[in-house]
Amino acid sequence: MLEDSGFEHVTIGPAVDTFADATGEANARSFEVYGYAFLAQRTATNQSA
Amino acid sequence: MSNELLVDVDKLRTQVREKYRDVAIDPHGPHHFHTGRLLANRLGYDNAIVDDLPDRAVESFAGVGNPFSLQRIEEGAKVVDVGSGAGFDSFIAATHVGPTGRVIGIDMTPEMLTKSRDTAAHLGFDHVEFREGLAEAMPVDDAWADVVISNGVINLCADKQAVFAEIFRVLRPGGTLQFADIANGRPVPIEAVRDVDLWTG
Repeated sequence: MLEDSGFEHVTIGPAVDTFADATGEANARSFEVYGYAFLAQRTATNQSA
Repeated sequence: MSNELLVDVDKLRTQVREKYRDVAIDPHGPHHFHTGRLLANRLGYDNAIVDDLPDRAVESFAGVGNPFSLQRIEEGAKVVDVGSGAGFDSFIAATHVGPTGRVIGIDMTPEMLTKSRDTAAHLGFDHVEFREGLAEAMPVDDAWADVVISNGVINLCADKQAVFAEIFRVLRPGGTLQFADIANGRPVPIEAVRDVDLWTG
């Protein structure tokens, strides 16, 4: 979706177990939900795809 | 790409506002996620910066990752924080950019805006301001920002394409988007996706 929106050079960081030991942990485990850091650069053109 | 919205946008926004109003007023309350300094430490934030912030700047932090983990923001940069909440990430960014930079936090929850504005005044951060707005329609000029940050917000927006299009609009060509958010490794059933209650709980 990022690239479809006009971003490039997308980097994704390692998964972080955001919900570990929180009350939402069970739901998070059910769908393998983790937090991630994303880095991307806006293309130099003036229109997104 | 199909852009069918699977939930009632207004209903979702109302529930998100209610949830994060509670986080602003009662940050240590019974939330399904972690908050505050323990969360910041868990997510690998720079303790040298976080420890210098007062409790009111940190206690309502409810991010899901660390948008600064892949790249530090350069001094003097102009930053937009999408869904700035009580301002924690905006204050981290403000520390990175210094007084020659500028940070604009955007949030739709009045209680978060009140808290973030009061904290900015308390800190004497004249280069940080908080504006009321939606991620899909930010009160920021075209191509104003060098960097856009966000943390745990885009997953709560029904129309993610609209959010990324808006981020594209406010970023200058070649500008940087650095954000944190959740992603699921297993598919969520469509009936669960349509259930607004599951988006915020």
